[in-house]
Amino acid sequence: MRTLRRFLMRLLSWTSTTLDEDRLKSEIEEHLALQTADNLRAGISPAEARRQAVLKFGAVESIKENYRDGRGLPFFEAWLQDTRYALRRLRKSPAFTVTVILTLALGIGATTSIFTLVHAVIMKSLAVANPAELYRLGKESRCCYWGGFSQEGEFSIFSYDLYKHFRDHTEGFEELAAFQAGGALFGVRRSGSTQAAQSYPGEFVSGNYFTMFGIRAYAGRLLAADEDRAGAPPVAVMSYRLWQQQYGSDPSVIGGSFSLDQKSFTVVGITPPGFFGDKLRAIPPDFFLPLASETLLGTAGDLNQPDQYWLDLIGRIRPGAAPASVEADMRVELKQWLRSHWADMDANDRVKFPEQTLFLRPGGAGITSMREEYEHWLEVLMMVSSFVLLIVCANVANLMIVRGMERRRQISLSMALGAQASRLVKQALTESVWLSLAGGVAGLAVAFAGTRLVLHFAFPHIAGMGSVPISASPSMPVLLFAFGISLFTGIAFGIAPAWMATRVDPSEALRGASRSTARTGSLPRKTLVVFQAALSLVLLAASGLLTAALHHLENQDFGFLQDRRTIVRIDPGLAGYEANQLSTLYGRIHDSLSSVPGVWDAAAAMYSPLSGNNWGAGVWVDGQPPPGPHDDNLAFWDRVSAGYFEVIGTPILSGRGIARQDTATSQPVAVINQAFARKYFPHQNPIGKYFGRTEMQSSRVYQVVGITADARYLDSAFDKPVGPFFFLPEPQHDVSPHDGKDIDPGSHFLHDIVVVTQPGAHVSAAQLRQAMASVDPNLPIISVQTLKEQVAGQFRQQRLIARLTSFFGVLSLVLASIGLYGVTAYNAARRTNEIGVRVALGAHRAQVIALVLRGAIGLVAVGLVVGLPVALAAGRFLGSQLYGLNPYDPWVILLAVLTLEFSAFVASLIPAVRASFISPLDALRAE
Amino acid sequence: MDVRQGTLALMVLKTLDVLGPLHGYGIARRIEQISGDLLAVNQGTLYPVLLKLEQEGAIASEWGSSENNRRARFYRLTRDGRKQLQSETRDWEQTAAVIGRFFAVKAEDLK
Repeated sequence: MRTLRRFLMRLLSWTSTTLDEDRLKSEIEEHLALQTADNLRAGISPAEARRQAVLKFGAVESIKENYRDGRGLPFFEAWLQDTRYALRRLRKSPAFTVTVILTLALGIGATTSIFTLVHAVIMKSLAVANPAELYRLGKESRCCYWGGFSQEGEFSIFSYDLYKHFRDHTEGFEELAAFQAGGALFGVRRSGSTQAAQSYPGEFVSGNYFTMFGIRAYAGRLLAADEDRAGAPPVAVMSYRLWQQQYGSDPSVIGGSFSLDQKSFTVVGITPPGFFGDKLRAIPPDFFLPLASETLLGTAGDLNQPDQYWLDLIGRIRPGAAPASVEADMRVELKQWLRSHWADMDANDRVKFPEQTLFLRPGGAGITSMREEYEHWLEVLMMVSSFVLLIVCANVANLMIVRGMERRRQISLSMALGAQASRLVKQALTESVWLSLAGGVAGLAVAFAGTRLVLHFAFPHIAGMGSVPISASPSMPVLLFAFGISLFTGIAFGIAPAWMATRVDPSEALRGASRSTARTGSLPRKTLVVFQAALSLVLLAASGLLTAALHHLENQDFGFLQDRRTIVRIDPGLAGYEANQLSTLYGRIHDSLSSVPGVWDAAAAMYSPLSGNNWGAGVWVDGQPPPGPHDDNLAFWDRVSAGYFEVIGTPILSGRGIARQDTATSQPVAVINQAFARKYFPHQNPIGKYFGRTEMQSSRVYQVVGITADARYLDSAFDKPVGPFFFLPEPQHDVSPHDGKDIDPGSHFLHDIVVVTQPGAHVSAAQLRQAMASVDPNLPIISVQTLKEQVAGQFRQQRLIARLTSFFGVLSLVLASIGLYGVTAYNAARRTNEIGVRVALGAHRAQVIALVLRGAIGLVAVGLVVGLPVALAAGRFLGSQLYGLNPYDPWVILLAVLTLEFSAFVASLIPAVRASFISPLDALRAE
Repeated sequence: MDVRQGTLALMVLKTLDVLGPLHGYGIARRIEQISGDLLAVNQGTLYPVLLKLEQEGAIASEWGSSENNRRARFYRLTRDGRKQLQSETRDWEQTAAVIGRFFAVKAEDLK
C-alpha cells in the first residue's frame, strides 16, 4: 500500500519538477544557514563556520541527486532526456541518419515484401470454414483434361463418373465435392441487354461445393446439392467482386436472368467477399455453375464420358476418421471402378492397371498449382532478399561503429566528469533504438509498396477482371522478424563501441588516439566490408546469370516471326456457334480482316504459339506395331486454317503447308515439324507416309504432306529442344476409321486469329475489332495483342526475377562500396602521420595513392575469395531457372568480379587521392 | 557510524512524535543530540528520507517561519505516521528482546 502511494506520488510530482527543485534548494540553503549561525554562536570564525556547515551536511550535489532519484520517475525521465539528446545528435548528422534509415528501410522492406508473397502463395489457406479439415485427392495438380483409363504416378484428375463412384461409396468423407480442374470462359450478357456479351471466367462445380466449403451466401443463396442433376433449371452463382464492380451491387441481379454462351441461366446468389474459389489464380472465377449444366455449355459433353477426366476433388473428412484409412479405401474403390470399365480400356491401359493409385493430401490450401509453378522462383527470391538484409545489417553495423568511434572522446570526458558507464551506454542504446525504430517504420512503408509493385508486375491486372487474391499488406510475423534483426544489429553495433569506450581509462583516451599504434579498431569494419563484398559478388553473379538466361529465352529462335503479327483471341463457343457453322465463320473472318487496309493476310489456329495451351495426342506410325504402354509416343498438335504457316512465319522445309485444297472431303493430311520427322520417321522421307493416333485406334489416318521448321508452341521446358508437333487442317475432322466417330469435335473451335500486316503499315486494334464486328457483332473478342506481347508475356516472371535480382545486386554493390569508402577514408586518416613521413622522404603522389588503394583492393580480393564458391553454389541452386545456361558460365562470373573490383576501385580512389594531397608539414602538425 | 535509511526514518518519526512539528535542520539537530553525535556527518542524507516519508504519507509538510524569521519547511507527523511509528517500535522492541536473549545465553544454559 505504501509503495503504491509512493508510486502515485512520484507520478504526480513529475508535474511539479521546477517547484520541487526550488524547494529543495531553499531548504538546503536554509539548513546550511541555520547550521552556520549555530557554528558562529559556538565561536567558530565566519569563513570556517560556513565551511564546517557544508562539510557536516555532506556532498550537496550527491544528496540532491539522491533526492531527485526519490521523486519523479527517474528511469522514465532519464529515458526522455536520452531520447531528446539522441534526436538532437541524429539531427545534427543528417547524412548518417538518412543513410541508416534508408538502408534499414530497404533491407526490412525488401525482405518483408518477398516473404509476404512467399507466405501468401505457399501457405495461404482457402477463404473457407475450417480449412484444416479439408483433404484433396492428388499430390500434384494435373490440369486440365485427360483421357484414357490410366494416369502416370497417381490419379489426380477425375471424371464425373469416377467422382460419383467415390462420393457414393466412401464413408470417410462427410462431404466430397468436385469442381473443374481448369477454368472456363463464359460469354455473359444480362437478359434484355443489347450490349455484346462480355467474357468472364467461371467454373463448373458440384452441387455440394459450397456446403462442403462451409460457405454462406452474401446475398441470395448458393447452389444446393439437388440442383446438380440433368434436367434441373439452369442456375449460377456470381462472385461478389463482379456483382459489386460490374452491377453496382444491384439487388435485382439476384434471381435475375442472364445468358451464358447464349443459354439462359438464373443467378441465384452472390458468394461472400474474399472467397476466391478452390485455388489461387491470377484471375479468380466470377461464375459458379453446377456440373450438370456442362452438357448445356461444354463443347465436348465431358460430363457423361466416364473416361474424360476434368475434375478435381476436395472433401471434408468425417470427424474421427483417419485420412490414411480413407486413402486406402479410395484406392480400392479406384481399382473397383477401373475394373468395371475393363471392356472400354485399351491394351495399354490394361497393362498399366496394377500401377494405378491415388493419394489423399491436406487440402486447406486448395489446389496448389500456383505454388507448384512458382515455388522455385520464390525460393530464389527469398535467398536474394535474405542476402540483401544481411548486407544492409553489415552496412548499418559499419556506420554505427564509425559513429561510436567519433564519440570516444566525448564518452571519456563524460566519465572523467563522473558519469556512470551504464548511463552512457544507455545513451548509445537509446540512439540505436530510435534509429532502428525509424528504419522499421520506413521499412513497413517500403514493404507495402514493394509487395504491391511485385504483384503488379507478376500478375498484371486486366481491366474488368478480378485480381489475384493476395493481399499486399505485410504479414506481421515477417515484419517483426525483419524489424527484430535490424533492431538487434543497431543495438549490438551501437552499444559495442560505446561500451568499449567506457572501459578505456579516460586520461589515455583524452590524450589522443592517433598516438597509439594499435590498429585493432578497424578489424570489425574490415570484416564487415569483406562480408559485404562476398555477398555482393554472389548477388551480382546471380543477377548476371538470370539476366543472361532471360536474354537467351527472349532471343531464342522461336521458329516463327513476331514482327507485324497480331493475335485476335475469340471463342466462338461463347457466342453459341455450332461446329458446322465454324468453317463459314472463319472464311468470313479471313475475308473481313484481309480487307482492312494494311493487312496482308490472316489465318486461324486453335492455339497460336506460346498462347498457354496445346492438345496432346498419341502417335501411331503406319507400318509400326501399336505403341506399348510404356512407349513415349506423345506429340502435341494444332489445328490451323489455310495459309497459316506463311502468316505465322514458320518456314516450310519440304512439301507444302496447310492450304485451301484441304477440305472436309479431301484426303486427311497433316503437316509435321522436324522433331516429329526425326523421331517418328528417322532416316526416311516422311512426305507421303501415313500415321494415326492411338485414341483413334488406327495408324493410317493422316498423310504427311509437309515438314516445317521446329517452332515453340508449348510454354514449358524451354531448356529442352522443341518436341514433336503436327498440324491439321481446319475443315477436316478426325474421324476414326475404326468406329467412324469424330474424336475431337471441340478442336474445331479455333481461338486465335493471326493477322500479319504489310511492312510499314500501321493497323490499330480498333480497326481489327471493327472488322470482326462486321462479321458478327455478338462474337466476343477476348483480347487483341501483338504476338510480341504474347511471347513476352510468357516470360513475365523470369523478367521480374531477373530485374529484382539485378536491382538488389546493384543495391548491394552500392552499399558495399559505401562501406569500403568509409573504411578506406578512416584508415587513410589514421595513417596521416605515416603518409606525411613518407612524402617527406620523397614518395610520389602516385605511390601514396597506390598505398591506400592496395589496402582497399586487398580487402575486396579477400571478399571475392570468400564469395566465389558461394556464387558458384548459387548458380547451381538456380538450376532450372537458367533454362540450360551453364551455371558456371565464366563470362558472367568474370563480369561480376570485374564489376565488384571496379566499384571498389572507384570507391577507394577518392580517399586515396585525398590522402595523396597531404603535405608532410600538415600531417606532422596534426594530431 | 553510518545509519541505515530505515532506522533514520524511524528516528525522524520518533523525533516528530516527541517534539511536534520541526523543520529539517531542527530534526537533524535533535537526532544528533539523541544519538550522541553518531549522526554527526552527512546530515544531508536526511532530506531524501523526509521525501520518502512524505510520499508514503507518514509525515506532512508546510511552509512556516524559522527562528531567524526566514521561510522554512516544517514537517509534522500524520495519523498514518503515528500508526507506522507504533508498529515499527513494537517490531524493534521485539527484535531487541530476542537478540538480547541470545546474547545473554551462556554455554551451560543450553546443555
